[in-house]
Amino acid sequence: MSDSSSETTGVNPGVDPEPDKEATREKGPLAPQSSRGLTAWAAIGLIAALLLGGTAFPDTILGILADIITDKDTFAAALRLSVPIAFAALGGIFSERAGVINIGLEGLLIISAFTAIYVTDITGEIWVGFSGGVVASVLLALLFAVVTIEFRADQIIAGLAVWLIALGLAPFASQVIYNSPNTPTVGTTRSISVPVLAEIPFFGALFSASPSVYMLLIAVVASWYVFERTAFGRWVRASGENPKALDTAGVNVNRVRYAGVLISGVLAGMGGSALSLDLGQFTGNGATMVNGKGFIAIVAYLFGNYNPIGAFLATMLFAGLDAIQTVFQLQGIGLPQQLIRVIPFVMVIVILAFVGRTRLPESAGEHYESGEK
Amino acid sequence: MSVIDHARRVLERLVAASATERILISSAALLLSILLGALLVLIAGRMTTCTVGDAVYYFGTGFCYNPVLVFDRLFLGALGDPFSGAWSPEGQFSVTLRETTLLIFTGLSVALAFQAGIFNIGTQGQMVVGGLATAVLVLQASSVVSGVIGSVLLIPFGVVVGVVSGGLYGSIPGILKAYSDANEVITTIMLNFIATGVTLYLVSGVFKDPESPANRTVPLPEYAQFPTVIFGGRQDFSLVALACGLLAIGGLYYLLEYTAFGYDIQTSGLQPGAAEYGGVDAKRTIVASLTLSGALGGVAGSMYVMMVLGTFQSGLPAYGFDGITVSILAGNNPAGVAFTALLFGVLKSGTTVVQFATDVPPQLVGVLRGLIILFVAMPEFFRLVGQRVVDPGSKPVATDDGNLEATDE
Repeated sequence: MSDSSSETTGVNPGVDPEPDKEATREKGPLAPQSSRGLTAWAAIGLIAALLLGGTAFPDTILGILADIITDKDTFAAALRLSVPIAFAALGGIFSERAGVINIGLEGLLIISAFTAIYVTDITGEIWVGFSGGVVASVLLALLFAVVTIEFRADQIIAGLAVWLIALGLAPFASQVIYNSPNTPTVGTTRSISVPVLAEIPFFGALFSASPSVYMLLIAVVASWYVFERTAFGRWVRASGENPKALDTAGVNVNRVRYAGVLISGVLAGMGGSALSLDLGQFTGNGATMVNGKGFIAIVAYLFGNYNPIGAFLATMLFAGLDAIQTVFQLQGIGLPQQLIRVIPFVMVIVILAFVGRTRLPESAGEHYESGEK
Repeated sequence: MSVIDHARRVLERLVAASATERILISSAALLLSILLGALLVLIAGRMTTCTVGDAVYYFGTGFCYNPVLVFDRLFLGALGDPFSGAWSPEGQFSVTLRETTLLIFTGLSVALAFQAGIFNIGTQGQMVVGGLATAVLVLQASSVVSGVIGSVLLIPFGVVVGVVSGGLYGSIPGILKAYSDANEVITTIMLNFIATGVTLYLVSGVFKDPESPANRTVPLPEYAQFPTVIFGGRQDFSLVALACGLLAIGGLYYLLEYTAFGYDIQTSGLQPGAAEYGGVDAKRTIVASLTLSGALGGVAGSMYVMMVLGTFQSGLPAYGFDGITVSILAGNNPAGVAFTALLFGVLKSGTTVVQFATDVPPQLVGVLRGLIILFVAMPEFFRLVGQRVVDPGSKPVATDDGNLEATDE
């Protein structure tokens, strides 16, 4: 217990527990890895059993479920639904790996979702609107970065503030401009279909999708590449794990952290813009159309162990569930909508209960003060 | 015990040193948020359209919304226009006190968890669960008793239902944190979504009032609701409920300052390592404080059902999230919650007055809430500003121990 308390509260903020570092690093990622692996294997096993059961008894509920899971449309829907979550999760990885826990992803999604529609509405250009959403998200992320890095605000509370500001600001602006928390509809992006490849059963869904899905796939691979193969990726990781070493190596820690938070703004902004432009409308009632996607994104990257590809797969798991429930509804299979809606949230809790402690980057959540001032 | 003694001294020094500073920072945060809010109103006033006669003019430019009028209505309107000469507690003032009562409970809920070093964002969900449980169980019980005896029995019963159901719901993130080390910020946010979804399902299905198109339960009989005492009846306000809120403030203050359990909570919040070394059972304290925090959130739900609506209807107002602001602004101090709950009661009640008197969208208060949290979260900003004002030549970075401890909480 004592090791976790020193990390989360910073009992000795000035003293770096060097000798312990190696030890925690060795057992840190391994301990949750096993239970995380267990959950992943359990999920894979469950799906395999379902498919087997489905083929054996095609006319039962198992058969129907197996049909739905292997359906190309379900896969396409899962990809579409995962766009905002996965983009936000990628953003969260950049920010948190750099040492700034960004719990305000939800707010970044909300502000970009609204701005994308607003800018599209006034310019008539979907891609200008898309960029507008990204800019709005980056500006809010910049505010968050200044507040946490420059003014040493508590990252969790400031992130919460970012969410609440966006949650108030987007419907406020919509009300001022459109006289309703929901915007009118604008044009949506057309899907791009690759000839021949789109005909492949199931995986063809990857080749007949909206541009945002392709952008997401590129972003996932690019993020992985940045972290694993570039100097900047190493700086970001060091900034979160061992800022002192990075500082000693002559790299400005705060500048790297700014970059991490701003990249999270860009990525979350792309997710938010894609979300609203996919439907051509922003709805701002209650929890808005974003409705917790930013928080699911946080769980997705925790579950994916800060790996862009892992986070994407975790997102696909949540989004796949959502896609299946939509099909269920269309086919009129029992189970009330309100209950199915909460399944992803329940799953997050169950996963957290099993995976338990997620190993944060060593210095995430702590302000870094350079020695030379 | 020396570790505990040391922790106690740290705690006392911190409280004494930071109380004035906290009040100053909170006031500055509030003022700055209002100024930014005024700016936002001006900008919004440029983006909408209105007739020339309705516009106000500042610096030679016309604006559709008048920030002075907005904040005049927001504050004076919420207090029932005390300077108008015809003030009566029956009007908007009762609404303000009603909102204050609910915010006291949600604010205390967040504050108690914060004192234990736990960030309970789940007060909203705990309130929703407490509210539905109260509406359903009190309705069941109300067929057994009636009249004055009914009130005397049913209202405390409803509060107990809120305590138990909210407490149980609050214990879930507590157990998850204590025994699986699951981050409470994430679990409580998830539990909020779950509470909203499941209660919507229940209240649109099994518990639905067949005679209403809305998703709500069968309304409670009059005798199962908080009685009007002296004033406030027209605005669904009961002084009895406010008295309960003040009692809760006193009770929590006593618990934290004068009991062994409260002491465990505070030391766990300030110095978890030292607390455990000194013999505090960390897991038990986590579960207990989140359960108690959830219980306070549950009471807010009972109060909402038994005082305001008289039924449970899906889509409860965001008292739980406002509770976070109330608590943070009060420095998580129960006594401070009394003032900040009143302040937010004014903001919430004033929103409807603003809506009546102007065209400014009511979501403005949501933005103010976020801004206030943001500014309170960055005390360093105000310290820098303060230093520049006091001594313009000094080095603008403060790094003594006290500051580090204060910002690290």
